[in-house]
Amino acid sequence: MNVRSLRRSEGSSQTWPKTGLILAAILLNVALLMMGDTFAWLREYPETWVWGIAGATTTAVKYFVNDLAIRGVSVAEMTRGFANLIKVPMLALQGVLSEGFEFYGDNGEATIYRGLPWPAVMAGLTAFAWWAAGRKVALFSLFSLVYFLVFGLWQSSMLTLSSVVVAVFVSFVLGILLGILGYRNARANAILMPIYDVMQTIPTFSYLVPVLLLFGFNPVAAMIATVIYAMPPMARVTTLALQRVPPNIADFGDMAGCTKRQKMWQVMLPAARQNLLIGLNQVIMLTFAMVIIASVIGAGGLGGEVYQGLKALRIGDAVEVGIAITLMAIMLDRISKAIALSRPDHVDAAPGAVWQRHPLTFAWIAIALLLVLLGQIFPSLYAYPKAATISTGSFWNDAITWIGDTYYTQIKALRDTTITYIMRPMKSFLLDVPWTGFIAVIAAISYAIGGRGLAIMSASLLGFIAVTGYWDGAMVSLYLVLLSVIVALIIALPVGIWAGLNPRVDHVVTAIIDTLQTLPSFVYLIPVVMLFSVGEFAGLVAIVAYSLPPGVRYTKQGIQNVARSSIEAGDMAGCTRWQKLTNVQLPLAIPDIMLGVNQTIMFAFGMLVITALVGTRGLEHDTLVAISKVQPGEGIVAGLGIAFLSIITDRLISQGSRNFQRRSGMSQR
Amino acid sequence: MTQETETPTGEVLISCRSVWKLYGAKAEGIAAKYGQNISDEIIAKNGLISAARDVTFDVRKGEIFVIMGLSGSGKSTILRCMTGLIEPTMGQLLVSGTDLKTATRQQLIDLRRKVMGMVFQDFALLPHLTVLDNVAFPLKVQGKSKVERHAKAREMVDLVGLEGREAYLPHELSGGQQQRVGIARSLTTEPEIWFLDEPFSALDPLIRAEMQDEFLRLQNLLQKSIVFVTHDFDEAIRLADRIAIMADGRVVQIGTPEELITNPADDYVAKFTEKVPRSKVVTVQSVMGPVRQNLSGPPIKAADLVGDVAEQAMSGPDAMPVAGKDGTIIGALDRAAVTAVLLNKSASA
Repeated sequence: MNVRSLRRSEGSSQTWPKTGLILAAILLNVALLMMGDTFAWLREYPETWVWGIAGATTTAVKYFVNDLAIRGVSVAEMTRGFANLIKVPMLALQGVLSEGFEFYGDNGEATIYRGLPWPAVMAGLTAFAWWAAGRKVALFSLFSLVYFLVFGLWQSSMLTLSSVVVAVFVSFVLGILLGILGYRNARANAILMPIYDVMQTIPTFSYLVPVLLLFGFNPVAAMIATVIYAMPPMARVTTLALQRVPPNIADFGDMAGCTKRQKMWQVMLPAARQNLLIGLNQVIMLTFAMVIIASVIGAGGLGGEVYQGLKALRIGDAVEVGIAITLMAIMLDRISKAIALSRPDHVDAAPGAVWQRHPLTFAWIAIALLLVLLGQIFPSLYAYPKAATISTGSFWNDAITWIGDTYYTQIKALRDTTITYIMRPMKSFLLDVPWTGFIAVIAAISYAIGGRGLAIMSASLLGFIAVTGYWDGAMVSLYLVLLSVIVALIIALPVGIWAGLNPRVDHVVTAIIDTLQTLPSFVYLIPVVMLFSVGEFAGLVAIVAYSLPPGVRYTKQGIQNVARSSIEAGDMAGCTRWQKLTNVQLPLAIPDIMLGVNQTIMFAFGMLVITALVGTRGLEHDTLVAISKVQPGEGIVAGLGIAFLSIITDRLISQGSRNFQRRSGMSQR
Repeated sequence: MTQETETPTGEVLISCRSVWKLYGAKAEGIAAKYGQNISDEIIAKNGLISAARDVTFDVRKGEIFVIMGLSGSGKSTILRCMTGLIEPTMGQLLVSGTDLKTATRQQLIDLRRKVMGMVFQDFALLPHLTVLDNVAFPLKVQGKSKVERHAKAREMVDLVGLEGREAYLPHELSGGQQQRVGIARSLTTEPEIWFLDEPFSALDPLIRAEMQDEFLRLQNLLQKSIVFVTHDFDEAIRLADRIAIMADGRVVQIGTPEELITNPADDYVAKFTEKVPRSKVVTVQSVMGPVRQNLSGPPIKAADLVGDVAEQAMSGPDAMPVAGKDGTIIGALDRAAVTAVLLNKSASA
């Protein structure tokens, strides 16, 4: 036996050196903390060493936008020209739906063309919902539209709707084109995928600033930010859907003598249409969430109303608009999901004229024309009279006051206890850990889980955060996310298991989490601020609420996906229900549960960003401040910090989960 | 149906010469280095997987050529090489006079539009198109007008017995009906060569038998040149003029069903053939004895299957006269020989 093989046989219990490495890294921390001031720079990254890339980026972006000119036209002028171009379809749609059009002649006189009367829009949207999703969804849509109208939110909601429609269209088209590129060209795909990763994990506020600089403070900028956010999933879904087209269908395309283009557009994409439409549903929901968030840079619409309400602490108004957003989210989700899942049967070609084959469309045209004519006599058909709107704002305000008065002590006790005994200690602990020691521990864990590559990636991403001077902010963000995830899992796992075991509970739980997941993250802030005012505790509650659904969903599915034969084997072995759960169902559900844990963390990072609006103080705060100070560099670097934290956690957990499955011999799902 | 016993003659439509398909990162380089001298060791050492090895055969005009093998035997790979869907690593493939290796993209497209038609195992219908539009699709990509392609498609739909279902969508049809659409679609361009890749494997046994009859009916009508891939030996002997049996990427034996059964090349082939009822495959000619005196009764045709004349032979005299194609008596069929065939005795008489 030579030396090499001897060494290998010694290392057969490979876990030991890895565990040793992690222990050593932890000891390094202790040593650094005890050493006093000798190696202070190893504990606290010295401010004088900070790499000023954030500031430099800001200068560069500002130079690029304002001073760089090609043939005397500055970049800002070009991009704003482009913005004006995109504005056209958006304004057109908005004009038709509610606002109308104004054109100014040479003499400054305005010619006004009015849009459609609100009852016509209402009838049209309801008819569309009926055609796409049936009577129930149509009634729900009608109810929502009436809600918008009587609460005086008609114009805001139509603005939001137009932004969503145009942004979805752009994201959909771009996503499909990029998705095709990724499908056809493996090298392009290898480049695009990590870019999508960063685009999806970097906090929204980060790219709001450059977009703001390039396109100005207006709805179009918001729309472009929205496309950046919502397009990557569509591109991903497209590539995936094309890869999943049965190989025989692809072969058929060739055998029918298709050219490359014919094969793509007439065979592959139509064959993938179901998955593409499911992707479209996602894009719609992401777009909607982003349109609401983009109110921070002037998207207006429903998001703007909530933002104004929250800022001025007019909670009652914010609640009203929050309900409107919820209604619109559910409406968009139900309609697009119905379209994605529908599998229509054939229709026998009915003889007859066009209007006999499309009665709904023509009935609507007739009604709309009639309403336009009637509108000349009754102006209230165009502008819903203010006097007829209602507001429940004061009711909500009263309710909040009442809650505050009645439960003041309980709420305060809960909040103060949590802050004093859990939040503050954890936060100062993370802030006290030496940055070098922290990186060493994470690198050691990464090495143990994923080998050298993962260790280098974790260490360099964390190193980037340290040298750019955002370490403390990152620790504050991390503590809030970690704590929220722990709380969320403590709630989600038992609920998920219960729902997985009990169909009746499942029914209720699924209905609730389905609805919760359609809501834009922004909406979660409203009740939280209502009950807990602003601050890190409010942020914690919001993150927990937002990241609960995926944890519950995956745990539940994990339990339900356990093969029946395994359960029957457990029964026949004479297991009690508890033994069956702990020995059969839970172990087999672990891969799904791990996926749920991972999703919970990703959702927590997603919500963390938004909680900056209620006064949390980590990196998310820096990205928000960057908007008001118009510092794109600072916003991007701080945002990258959050993206890196979430990418590291994601890689560690998914790799760890894969290792676990391999060790326990479970095949990957 | 009657089996052709003589080796088919006639024009060669597909010529497959020493075709190899190797998979693996180094496949091209290794193939270039060793050429046809490549060995199992070289393949294994370089981590290559061989899907087809040194495959050589001809498909002639008007015959039904069945490639039979278990999964992983390379039968689908060879079919896909013949259609140009897969490029072989080595070897030559001539299809209707075109060398697939040197053919341009456009030539390949033309070949598929005019000469080839293909039926797929899982039907591969386009889910968003009606029956009629599915059948018309190959004409659509050729730029034919809607009127023209629908007229032709309607003809094909009638041919496979789906009239009245033109407006249905694929998911509204049963498996058998869907494959009828697949068959109609593969025939709309009136191809010279018809490829069928396990067309009936996804169907349940009763429907499968029905579709096999339908296939034979269509072939009687259209007289195509056919390459038919299957893993079902019974299906192969039922349909084939000639069968190529494949295992581990190699062709083990090529022959008529009767040749395979009466004279299997090795144990592997014999394993398939031993369970097959010989009476349905073996012809009178191959079990008859020499002409002798005192033969009485009406003569039996030499090309008939033993099973088809068994009743007549068993109830008649000990030996019956056998007539050749031109009606002259060329041999005698002993009752004992018929009994042996009916009892599935393996040794040929």
